[in-house]
Amino acid sequence: MIEISKMGFQYSGSDRMALRDINLTIQDGEFVGLIGVSGAGKTSLTHTLTGMIPHHYKGDFYGSVRVNGMDTVECRGEDLYRIVGSVFQDIDSQMVASVVEDEILYGLENFGFSREEISERLENVLDTLGIRDLRYRALSSLSGGQKQKVAIAAIVALRPQIIVLDEPTGELDPESSLQIFRLLRQLNKEFGITVLIVEQKIMLLCEYVDRMIVMNEGAIVFDGPARDVVRHTSTFEDIGINVPRVVTLCGQLQKKGLYNGQVPLNVEEGEKMVREVLRGGRHAGI
Amino acid sequence: MAAMLEFDHVHFGYGRAVILPDLSFTIEKGDMVALIGANGAGKSTVSRLCNGLLLPSKGHVRVTGMDTKKVRTSALARKIGFLFQNPDRQICKNTVYDELAFGLQVQGVSEAEQKERVEKALETFHLDPKWEPFTRSRGERQRIALASVLIHEPELIILDEPTTGLDYRECTEIMEYVTALNREKQTTVLMVSHDMELVQSYAKRVLVLSGGQLLGDGPVRQIMKDEQTLHAAKVMPAQIPALALRFGDTFSDVYTVADMVAALEKERG
Amino acid sequence: MGNILEFVPGDSFLHRLNPITKIVLAFLFCICSLLSNNLLIQVGLLAFLMIIAFAAGIGEKAMGLLRTLLFFCILMIILQLIFMRGGVGYLVLPGGFPLVTSDGLYYAALFTLRIINATLPLLMMFAITQMNDLTNAMVNRLHVPYRYMFILTTAFRFIPILAGEFHDIMDAQKARGVEFDTRNIFKKIGLIVPLCVPLLVSSVKKVDSGAVSAQVRGFSLRTRGAGYKAYPFRLGDLLALLLLAAMIVLLVFFG
Repeated sequence: MIEISKMGFQYSGSDRMALRDINLTIQDGEFVGLIGVSGAGKTSLTHTLTGMIPHHYKGDFYGSVRVNGMDTVECRGEDLYRIVGSVFQDIDSQMVASVVEDEILYGLENFGFSREEISERLENVLDTLGIRDLRYRALSSLSGGQKQKVAIAAIVALRPQIIVLDEPTGELDPESSLQIFRLLRQLNKEFGITVLIVEQKIMLLCEYVDRMIVMNEGAIVFDGPARDVVRHTSTFEDIGINVPRVVTLCGQLQKKGLYNGQVPLNVEEGEKMVREVLRGGRHAGI
Repeated sequence: MAAMLEFDHVHFGYGRAVILPDLSFTIEKGDMVALIGANGAGKSTVSRLCNGLLLPSKGHVRVTGMDTKKVRTSALARKIGFLFQNPDRQICKNTVYDELAFGLQVQGVSEAEQKERVEKALETFHLDPKWEPFTRSRGERQRIALASVLIHEPELIILDEPTTGLDYRECTEIMEYVTALNREKQTTVLMVSHDMELVQSYAKRVLVLSGGQLLGDGPVRQIMKDEQTLHAAKVMPAQIPALALRFGDTFSDVYTVADMVAALEKERG
Repeated sequence: MGNILEFVPGDSFLHRLNPITKIVLAFLFCICSLLSNNLLIQVGLLAFLMIIAFAAGIGEKAMGLLRTLLFFCILMIILQLIFMRGGVGYLVLPGGFPLVTSDGLYYAALFTLRIINATLPLLMMFAITQMNDLTNAMVNRLHVPYRYMFILTTAFRFIPILAGEFHDIMDAQKARGVEFDTRNIFKKIGLIVPLCVPLLVSSVKKVDSGAVSAQVRGFSLRTRGAGYKAYPFRLGDLLALLLLAAMIVLLVFFG
């Protein structure tokens, strides 16, 4: 469980707060999406969970962040890394090895697992993520999507309770991005891993996350189920984030009094909405 | 008059790997064209063939009639403004002013004119000349990069995945500048993208690339509704056209949210 | 040209040697080439090296490396041909001045072969050794601090990444009209120098994100014994080392 209370952070040398008055509780097994324009504090927030703030990036830290009851400021970073795994946007520089298998072994070796345990976890994660055929491939020969899968595998092998991903699909095309989200949902459902993902692709967030957090200027603006959050189309517009077109459509239909059902999050639900509007039309015609 | 951009039976490959077997298309002055396709379809290759960073192994690429094989890349650079997806590769000076002036300087523009043009660009793009590019946000850096590209008043602008790494607001900002140039000065635009919502909002014509071959070429409205072609090219369709397609002929004229609202209002009488 | 330090996957006897054996063998071979002033022996050493390369399935790679090295030796060859004036003269110019001499030819060949024989084994070593294995073996077996080996491996891994980055930066600059195709070498250098700024900026970013990524995966927890793969010394390692040692002894007495 993650508990953040009255937390704020200012990078040393910066003249403004990167994070302001953050209060946030994330239960085990949640799938949370984090969205906001650049500079909103999304990455900084993920750094506070992984302990990179304040252990690696220095500055003034206020309030508290607790992961499984451990205070991230007071505890050793090493204890935190066993619970929270991180995946980053820059695909190439987060790799430490040149072959897929070595990349996955890296963390396992560092944490000092026994040889049997490592072997079991390695085999397991290759199957779970469906990358067994990539095992002996050179990382440089893989596509961006494949590399990002390997990066996730390297983290999943460590069996963290929480995975924090900072725009993992930023450099990927729509098809590979979708695959990453499918994979994360599978990890979330099958193993109960808590997922916190920073993402700009609002349509993917709407489709996959249970809970959506919107940040702006270092603070949390909205926090709730995706369906409740995206309803606020005009605030989204003010901040500078888009909403899926079906949501915009829904907003306009509601304004005109043509529809008052639930907000659609994807094309399928959009279809239902339009059918309902059409039905209403025929009823009105009779 | 020669076309703005012409691919004439272009063949391109690295070693044994063929990327473009035989590609031909023409873009006229003033058009706003999107080049879409999945990763590995050859989109980046096409964009780099335009400004001579790559040269065709067979066939010809012509920019306003100039064969890219026969002129230097610097001559092409006067005609073409190329915005890369990563602004950090473009920016190499310590202040915004120097960065904007640098491109003019290498092209031999007089100092007085440099000053005048830089000042105009600073105003248009809301930039501070004293900013240090490397300390600014990604979106601001992309704006600086765009300003330093457009300061040359290119006749053809190529945008290589302009949305990568940018949030929606920054992305809209970039696209608005480019659209204004297209509208006011008939600057030709070729945008490479896999973001169909973006393509739908800004492009007039769409080229669909898959495996180095042109699967589709037509007005944006036609391509958006061409489910077969988009599927074959592994491109995800934009939401509203995809939604409209689910209703057969009922919404055959629907492409945007506004279209859909109007059509539904009509249905309801 | 590709990356000359790139690993070539394989399962030959050379690939299976202990990484430490491989690096020691490479150095021993260098010593061999420096011990002898005999052209025939140098030719023999090179032939031996190429036979090994082909037997280990990296023949093509070795030929590529050889071509690259030869290219770098061209200047040496020219200097030797010009300045070694002893022996029989060939291609005598009208004034009675020989363009090349037998000594010139001999020493040009000798020094070139020597340089190649001293460099090629090291380059070949990288072609048959994963940096990761080398690191782990050095840490486990030779007790080299992991921190240093990690820095070394990371540096090697970043070479192709930065080369790619530099290529992209050049492209971006060409696209805005910077004329790298100028014939004036000074002008060209003047144009390339400013590019170090973006390259530096992106390297710093990449190194930082690499460090963060290694850190969250327990970099600081790693102990010397950590390592899934074992790197035992086998009979093959011993035989290979003995062979090279014998070669050195022979060369010391008869080379």
